[in-house]
This record gives sequence, C-alpha cells and structure tokens, in this order.
Amino acid sequence: MATLLNKGQYLLITSLYFLLSACSSVPSLEGDVIAPKVKLPNQHQELGVMAAYPDPWEGFNRRMYYFNAKADRYVILPIVDGYKKITPDLVETGISNFFNNLGEMSTFINALFQLKLSVAGETFGRFVLNSALGLAGLVDVATPIGFKEQNEDFGQTLGFWGVAAGPYLVLPLLGPSSLRDATGVTFDALAYQHTIDAMAMSSEQELWMTFLDSIDARATLPFRYYASGSAFEYDQLKLLYKRYREIQVAR
Amino acid sequence: MRFFSVLLIMILSACTSKKDETVELQPVCDLQYSRYQATVTGYCQEPAADLPESLDVINKRITIKPLDKIPEVFWFTKKMKYSLVKQETIAPVIFIIAGTGAGHDSAKMLSLQKSFYQQGYHVISLSSPTFANFIVNSTNTTHMPGDLAHDAENLYQVMNLVWAQVQAEEEVTATSFAITGYSLGGAHSAFIALLDEQRQVFNFEKVLLINPPVSLYNSVTILDQYFDLRNNRQSAVAMLDEIIARFSVGYSQQRSSRFDQSSIFNLFKNANLTESELKLLIGASFRMSSSDMIFALDASFNAGAITYKNHKIDKFESLRHSMLRASDITFGDYFDAAMLPRAQRIDASTTKADLIQRYSLYAIEDYLKASDKIYLVTNQDDIILQAGEVEYLQQIFAERAKIFPRGGHCGNLDRFSFVEYLQTTFPTGGY
Repeated sequence: MATLLNKGQYLLITSLYFLLSACSSVPSLEGDVIAPKVKLPNQHQELGVMAAYPDPWEGFNRRMYYFNAKADRYVILPIVDGYKKITPDLVETGISNFFNNLGEMSTFINALFQLKLSVAGETFGRFVLNSALGLAGLVDVATPIGFKEQNEDFGQTLGFWGVAAGPYLVLPLLGPSSLRDATGVTFDALAYQHTIDAMAMSSEQELWMTFLDSIDARATLPFRYYASGSAFEYDQLKLLYKRYREIQVAR
Repeated sequence: MRFFSVLLIMILSACTSKKDETVELQPVCDLQYSRYQATVTGYCQEPAADLPESLDVINKRITIKPLDKIPEVFWFTKKMKYSLVKQETIAPVIFIIAGTGAGHDSAKMLSLQKSFYQQGYHVISLSSPTFANFIVNSTNTTHMPGDLAHDAENLYQVMNLVWAQVQAEEEVTATSFAITGYSLGGAHSAFIALLDEQRQVFNFEKVLLINPPVSLYNSVTILDQYFDLRNNRQSAVAMLDEIIARFSVGYSQQRSSRFDQSSIFNLFKNANLTESELKLLIGASFRMSSSDMIFALDASFNAGAITYKNHKIDKFESLRHSMLRASDITFGDYFDAAMLPRAQRIDASTTKADLIQRYSLYAIEDYLKASDKIYLVTNQDDIILQAGEVEYLQQIFAERAKIFPRGGHCGNLDRFSFVEYLQTTFPTGGY
C-alpha cells in the first residue's frame, strides 16, 4: 500500500488528518463558570439512538457546517433563485430530468456491484426509455409506466460489502457525509465523468454543464440551513444522516 | 429531501413539531383511525379541503431586541421572523399564532394561511413564544414562556411592531382585525384578545381558538407521559429504536427508493404502530421541541440548567452535552424548577396550584363566557384535553363552540369539514 502513495499524497493525507482532528469543539471555560445543574444522563445504554454515533472530527465538522450555511445563504441560494426566476418551470423540470437520467448510469453500476439485478434492470430500462423516447432524458417517460426511480451509490456499495461508515464528515458545500461515503462520492463522480465524456463536449461546455448540474441539484433539494430554528440542528442532522445511510445500505 | 423524509417519519408532527410539508394534501388514506394516528399523520381519512397549492408568502424579519445583545451561539436566528400573505386590495387582517415549539412557517400554519387567504384576509403569521427564534429575540428576560398573560404581553408588543413594519414596507391597509392560533397559540389568542380590550390597538372583530389546551399544565403532563424518560427511560428508548427499525424494514421492501406522500402513509400502514408507539412518537416530537425551547431560554437568561453558567458559548462549540441534558428534563421539571421559582421571586406567596390555574383558560373564564366575538373549534378526541375538559369548553363557549367528533390534536386543519367551518365563521371578505 505504501508504495502506491507517493510522498506528496502521504503528506496531504496526514495533514488532512490533523486538520480534521485538530479543531476543538470542547467548550473553553472561563474562570467563574459554573457547571450545568442538570446532570448528564448515563451515556449509551440510556440514550439509545441519541448517543449512537460518536463524532471525532466534530471541531472540523462544525466549522464546515457553519461555512456551508453561510455559503448557501450568500452565494448558492441567490444563484439558484436567479436560475429559477429566468427559467420556465417546464425547462427546469426538463433539466432536472436530464441530469437525473445521466445519474442512472452510476445507480446502474452500483446496483450491479451489489448484485441487485432487479434494481439494475429497472434502472437500465429507465435509462434506455428516457434516452430514446424522452428526448435524451428531458422527459421522464419511464416513471408513469411503472419503472420506479432507484437510488444506489458507491458509498452504499462499499457498505453492502461490509465497509464501515467511519467517522461523520461534513464536506465543503456537499454537507453531511462520512469517510466511506465521501470516498464513494469521488468514485461516482468518476463514473459520471465517463458518461459526460461519451458526449464529446469541449471542456468549456463541460464546465457549464457541471455548473448547471450543481444548480439543478441545489434547486431540487428543499433543505434550508437552520430552517428548523433549532440550535441542535447540527446534531440532529448528523443523527439523521447516519441512520438514513444505514437504512439505505440495508435496503 | 430524502433524509428529511426520514426525519418526518421519526418526529412526525403533533402540533408541537416542525415541518412536514409532505404529509399535507393527500386526499384519503386507508390507515386504521385513532386519535393518536390522526394527531401523527393527520386525519387523512377525510378528504382534504380545496386550498390553493401554494401562496406568495412574504417572509419578513424584524429587530425586536438589539442584535448585539443576542448570544453568539444564536447567530443563525437573529431578528424575529414572521410572514405576510397579502391581498391585492384593502382587506381585513388576521394574525395567526403558532402552537408549542412551532415557528411561523410550520405545516399547520401553512394550512391556516391558505384558508384565511382564501377567505380574503391579509394573513400575518407569528411564531410561538415557545419557539427558539421568538425567545432569543424577545426583550422579555423575566417571565418563562407558558405564562399565558405575560406571553400575551410579549406577543402584543411584537404584533404592534410587526403591524407598523407591514404598513410601512408592504403598504397593507386593514379594514379590521381578527386573531387566531392553534394549540397553545389558541390559548394565547384568547389572552391577547383580553389584553386588547384594555389597550384597544386592534379591537379584534373576531377571535378563534383552535384546539387550545384548557390547562397548559394538564396538557403537557399528558404529553410528558407519552415519552416517559423519567420512570421508564430504557423501555422508551428501546421502543423508539424499534419503531425506527420497523420503518426501515418497510422502506427496504418498498419498490422505489423515493419517498412521497402515499409511500409515507404506506410505511405507517405497514409499520402497524400500536397505540403506545404512536403516543411515543408524539411524546418524542414534543420532547424535541421542548429541548429547543429550554436551550434557548437557558442560554438567553444565563440560567445554568443545561449550559455552563457565565460561559459565552462559541458558535463552533459542541452543544451535544446540552442536548443530552435537555432530553432528561420533562415539562413537569421545567414547571417546578423554572416557572414556579420565577413566579415566586415576584410574589413569594404564589403556590403551584395558583400557577396551574393562572396558566389556563379558567383564569379568564368570565371573559370567554361573556365575549361573543370569541369562537372555539376543537375535536371531541383531542389528545391534549383531559377527561371533562371538552365538556368544560362546550359549556363556556356554548353556541360559539364547534366540536368535531374526530381529528385528534390539530389533525384536521386542512380537511374539508374544518375548512368549511372556517368559511362559515369567517365569511368571504371578512364582514
């Protein structure tokens, strides 16, 4: 394994590791501070799901969560709102369908990796139908006739073959993930790139396409940071993400 | 969206919960009816009312408390949030107050906004004084939320400021005013109406209490028991895990990976929850919103119950210890350890019984009896009402009471017969 990593990569990985674990999230207490009156409940057995997922990189994660919330509000959402304003709904749906259709390839591959033949078959059917009859994916003709949309990614494939999720990790802009799922994201991005390559576009066109894809992805996700109004949103979302991925992997 | 749907399933709404846009507008479901089911999934056995699919909601923010006085940990919730839905022309204005722990944009609020907009009202929606954004931005530093008369004072102050802003910035003109609220917000509307009789700023023409508690203490005692961490922690936690596991199995058996309304109802159907499991979901959701409330109060008032006293919480600091501590506090504890001592500091002779009486509709019974502009709508099987309380409401409001046989707690706000009732009580164009 060590031979595979050249020195630069090794350095990158070690510094990343330090970056992740260095930032503290433990309260730094001033002199006249008094401990909370309510005792901490006995962890684990008494708290069930609430204490189920440790968060060794919390310091880094919380900073990234904060960054994401700000970036979303001041950069991404204004672009998304502008996009929604200038494009007619019909066009938006078309674009959304188009990118969903491109995403089917990665779902298909991952379903095969997990030996889920019926899921793979259904996904392949969707891809062929929508590409051929749905104007290269702009119209979703497969769903109304019973080809349901599936969801598989490389994170789930790894999970299927027994790779543990690893620590919770908040990715820049992408948000909640884990060490395993972040690896999966990279793989899926490669698979996606292959699909794009097959369309033989100029690199500038590809850039615009990726940009549009990102805007569409954000526009179709109704999540808004701190819409819950809860100071505990970070913890709640972490719990939700971890649990939801377990469910997906088990599916 | 997808993991938010899981959140929905885990904390599916009582009146106490946050967002569940996915669960509204489904025409009819084939779930087995119970008052608990109706409270959790909505009274989906009855057809939905014909309401606009969406509204042009103007989301507004207003400075109530100087922003530099708000602790840094609440950086994301500075300025008080509210919303306005505006008619094209001059029209009556209605204020809507959200229920316990709910914001101005909760799912129940959205249903009510649609109904009243359709009836020709300018609609102004306010968060509950128990919602963190309200607490953090309120100038109140002495009274605990739930103290209905003082909550009414706080709300009244906010309503005045909001109304001034709406007139100035949105050019809204009112022909008259009305006020309503669901759950705790219903009780608040009654206390605000009484306060307005003295102050006479709005002179409400109509007041409607929707599924209010009769006694706040009785109602929250019921909800506390649903998720009994005090006496039965391990089995409560185990049951919650078990429910999640059953939903997971249902999800893995469904053909599509997508969540939509009918698949959520299907999950509920297949999970086949028992009565105590449904109660647990309601209790857990109530507990989640009361944790948020307790944290907002504790940090704003520097009370030191679940946070370090005299410590300035950094915005990157872990709050998990506070969340875990808060999960251990029942509303009963909050009442005994926070509300009662606060009240006794002002008047040492106050007893617990006094306070329970003060935080109930009994305290303003004469006004409710005599004032013929106040209406009440609730359900015979509302879970937050103790035995005898429906009869009490019926007796106090007499012909101004409308009691539906079914719907649980706020399960029918977007259903056909409920909206029809609103339409007859609030005729089109107001008056």
